[in-house]
Amino acid sequence: MRAFGYARPADAGEAAALLRAGARAMGGGTDLLTQLDRGILPADEVVDLRALGLSGIEHDGGGVRIGATTSVADVERDAGIGERFPGLRQAAGAVGSPQLREMGTVGGNLCQQVRCWYFRHPDLQCWLRGGETCYAQIGDHRKHGLEPGDCISVAPSDLAAALLVLDAEVETTGRRMPLADLYRKATAERRSTLVLEPGEFLTAVEVPRAPDASTYVIAGERAAWSFALVGVAAARFGDDVRMAAIGVSNLPRPLDPDDPAAGLPGLEMTRWKRRLLETLASDARAAVGR
Amino acid sequence: MTAKLVKTEAVVEGRTEVRWTLVEEDDTPEFEDGAPTRPVGEPTPRISARARTTGSARYTVDVALPGLLEAVVLRSPHANARVTSLDLDAARAVPGVRCVLGPGEGPEHAGSPLTDAPAFAGAAIAVVAADTPDAAEAGVAALAPEYEVLGFVSTIDDGFEKQDFLEEPTEHVRGDPDAALSAAEVTVEASYAVPAQLHNSLEPHAAVADWREDGLTVWSSTQAIFDARSTIADAFGLEPDQVRIICEFMGGGFGSKFGVGPQGLLAAELSRRARRPVRLVNSRREENLAAGFRTPAKMDYTIGASRDGRLEAVEATAMIGMGTGGWPFPVLEPVKSVYACPNLRLMTAPVRMNLGPSAAFRAPGVMEGTFGFEQALDELAEKVGIDPIEIRRLNHTENDPESGKPYTSKGLLKAYERAAELAGWEGRDGLRGDGRVRRGMGVASQYWWGAGGPPAYAEVRIGKSARPTVTVGLQDLGTGTMTACAVIASERLGIPAGEITVHAGDTSRIGHGPASGGSMTLASIAPAVRMAAHSVRTDILGLAADMFEIAASDLTLEDGEIRSVDGTLREPVTEVTGKLGNAWISGSGSRGPNPDGMNVNTFGCQIAQIAVDTGTGAVTVERVVAVHDIGRVVNPMGARSQVMGGVLQAIGFALMEERVVDPTTGTVVNAGLEDYKVPTIADVPEVVCEFVGDPDPHLRMGVKGLGEPPIIPTAAAIGNALAHALGVRLREAPYTPRRVLEALGA
Ligand SMILES: Cc1cc2nc3c(=O)[nH]c(=O)nc-3n(C[C@H](O)[C@H](O)[C@H](O)COP(=O)(O)OP(=O)(O)OC[C@H]3O[C@@H](n4cnc5c(N)ncnc54)[C@H](O)[C@@H]3O)c2cc1C
Ligand code: SF4
Repeated sequence: MRAFGYARPADAGEAAALLRAGARAMGGGTDLLTQLDRGILPADEVVDLRALGLSGIEHDGGGVRIGATTSVADVERDAGIGERFPGLRQAAGAVGSPQLREMGTVGGNLCQQVRCWYFRHPDLQCWLRGGETCYAQIGDHRKHGLEPGDCISVAPSDLAAALLVLDAEVETTGRRMPLADLYRKATAERRSTLVLEPGEFLTAVEVPRAPDASTYVIAGERAAWSFALVGVAAARFGDDVRMAAIGVSNLPRPLDPDDPAAGLPGLEMTRWKRRLLETLASDARAAVGR
Repeated sequence: MTAKLVKTEAVVEGRTEVRWTLVEEDDTPEFEDGAPTRPVGEPTPRISARARTTGSARYTVDVALPGLLEAVVLRSPHANARVTSLDLDAARAVPGVRCVLGPGEGPEHAGSPLTDAPAFAGAAIAVVAADTPDAAEAGVAALAPEYEVLGFVSTIDDGFEKQDFLEEPTEHVRGDPDAALSAAEVTVEASYAVPAQLHNSLEPHAAVADWREDGLTVWSSTQAIFDARSTIADAFGLEPDQVRIICEFMGGGFGSKFGVGPQGLLAAELSRRARRPVRLVNSRREENLAAGFRTPAKMDYTIGASRDGRLEAVEATAMIGMGTGGWPFPVLEPVKSVYACPNLRLMTAPVRMNLGPSAAFRAPGVMEGTFGFEQALDELAEKVGIDPIEIRRLNHTENDPESGKPYTSKGLLKAYERAAELAGWEGRDGLRGDGRVRRGMGVASQYWWGAGGPPAYAEVRIGKSARPTVTVGLQDLGTGTMTACAVIASERLGIPAGEITVHAGDTSRIGHGPASGGSMTLASIAPAVRMAAHSVRTDILGLAADMFEIAASDLTLEDGEIRSVDGTLREPVTEVTGKLGNAWISGSGSRGPNPDGMNVNTFGCQIAQIAVDTGTGAVTVERVVAVHDIGRVVNPMGARSQVMGGVLQAIGFALMEERVVDPTTGTVVNAGLEDYKVPTIADVPEVVCEFVGDPDPHLRMGVKGLGEPPIIPTAAAIGNALAHALGVRLREAPYTPRRVLEALGA
């Protein structure tokens, strides 16, 4: 691994300045360090955000506020979340392994990079990494998305799907926005699926109110410790059922509860995922009732 | 004791080796029928369990020596290329770099492990040894290689199309297959394909070499310390006695770690040049690119049978994806050896591909071939309307179908019976259900070698404090061989296994012991250990006879005591050994040859019960019943743990493990543990394990091997269970959600 500098500032302004100068943000580092190890989006400096006082879970009124550096394990363990946001707890519990959940943070989970095996290949520089070619489209894309596009990799964050159906908002160093707006498709000019500007980072996630019922279901490649092939979250507010999926599109993808695979035709090697998506969507819908 | 040289034959993973060995006459009495064998046959915890779990066990990667250099290898990113530029001098100029080897360099008398014509992504081009890993990596970066990129072959079909074979394809014919096939009342044609499975031993390939004036010491993670020694000695023009190989603990090898490997050769050459000890350890990625794999294969079977299910003829073809090295594994062995069948044609084509060299992997060839043939056999059973176990019984053979030789023992029929009972085979059709989740049960037979044989030597010593040591010339790759050695010595010495120290993994301590492979290790060493321990026992009892004035034949050793048969004498062994001062009693033992004119094989059968979710394609193995004939079981706890490991590794093969090669670049896209999935504890089913073999009457101690057998039938049984559950057969492993859903029409 190429050597890099490490800073752990106690001041958000200092962190932002370092990030603007080209450093990369780090929560638990469970994704970041494995990227740097392979020369993916290399940086000379890493800024650890965990000394900024951004950890903690606060319940107020009907909602909940989760600091960006709160560990995924703390979300999974939190009694209030377990009681009022069971789908979020299930999603936290679905992340990787116990070790990864202890180290991994909520901000890092929401901002993690795609898992496409070409993107993660140490010797290839694919389109999303700034290169010319999307190797997946001409190569082996059996685990990729259901949507055609410049990049066919899938959103990997379990928490993103669960938070999306809860109408979560994210707070960054400079603004507040619906979680859905944090993500957007990468373009030729901007090869990133996040809207964050240089120096900007997540400080918290807020869920305004508890649903009447919520759930998160995934199918992985083995019984535990696997990214979701497809993960589906559902929440019901009164008669209104919201659904979203990961593993099917570049972005955490809202679904139409009545036609979950709509607009997701599947690619040559991924059509099978439609069936999987339909099954999980119907399981999730059944779990929230109505 | 008199020693003589004998010529012996040993079957190592399907290949017969003939060798001369020195054996001593063995007058150790066999176990008598019904007499106690304690602790042989009783569960004994692994003697190294504490060291392994507390971290005090020293693996090769843990070896730290003063002045140690760290070595890093430059590997090709291209599937096929020529190196057009490489700046060795720039690497040598990097601060901290002590030695750099480029293409063609290496030990004087061996082919260089470094090449400027890399024929797979991951091929080694150069190696840099430096004071720190960072300096070594900086050295590698300074090499600034440039390549001319060439075309490549990444699939078996393309390699076959080009007729590019690692070795000439072979054909084996028995009887008249053409006539028998055209006359057959029933024929079945079936094709199966399996991917490359990657070993992923938790401990990577590693070596630490220390070249000194008076000789060379290499710590090596190896399954064969003596093979490692001869490879190193030959490569450097040294006498074997000048080379010492040490392997104290291993974290698996599964067939990929015979010899010293390129790590040992390169570390030794770097150490020779730099005059410093050198450590070379593979990263996980290097493991998965360059350290071997179970060969992918495409298998086609045409089976001819009578209407009542008797095999008349089989024609089978196996195309094996060798990569750039390895030997053609016996993929069609199950067709040849498991059932009676008078007519065969077996064709094997070992295809070259631009991938790393393949390596033996726990039951190489046979496991993949069992996956194909045992499923094809079920297709025949279905076609003729016979129960799958019944068709196996019907085609049972009492003699080796190829040579006609009898087996020394064969408990296969007993295994079918017991497995069916334990699994509830009778009720299998009632399991299936018609909802979203379906269940199924499938069976498969297991055939393997596992006789062991000479040369294998052991020494047992006991001193003043009566805490014996057993010294053997083998290495324990994690299978518990050392514990079994303690158990065997314990029975003769009457001293608990836990109080016995076993020395292994060091070529300087004793003569040759078996490699850890081919299910041969314990079957080879067991009689030698028992013989050595018996000799010590005889001496102790002789001394006791003089001391207590009771005939030696009326004395025994039990629970650390010398006892008379009539019960009048009970004295601690230390009454005798305590008089030894600084001397000790020692005994040596050697393994004699196997009987002539007979085949020694292990047999067994497994039944898998699975559940498949037709909505998600997820297959769950719920239960595996494993019943094997391995002769006498020395340590049931160790044996059970071998079965658990074999079954689990086969579940990985059946459900999730698959090396994926990118068709555009020819590089492996899942050469790491996040995308190459191996099972975790959550995938472990209930495993019911029983041994039905009697002690083999033709082998000393009656012990056969167990390393390979448990992995052999599991995946085939899962395949048969899946077909039973779905009524659809999946022809390609692994059975991922994608393959299941596609088979169901998604
Ligand atoms: C083997 C393995 C399995 C995994 N399985 C799963 C899984 O099943 N599900 C899943 O969701 N994830 C999984 N992960 C991914 C990852 O471990 C988790 O998502 C984890 O929560 C990431 O958090 P982190 O704090 O460690 O992120 P980091 O590695 O610290 O950061 C990840 C990315 O986010 C950026 N970042 C971090 N914090 C912020 C912030 N506050 N604002 C803006 N950007 C930020 C970093 O720059 C980096 O690009 C897995 C990872 C591994 C290695
Ligand atoms: S799918 Fe996206 S991440 Fe993967 S190779 Fe294509 S561009 Fe790169």
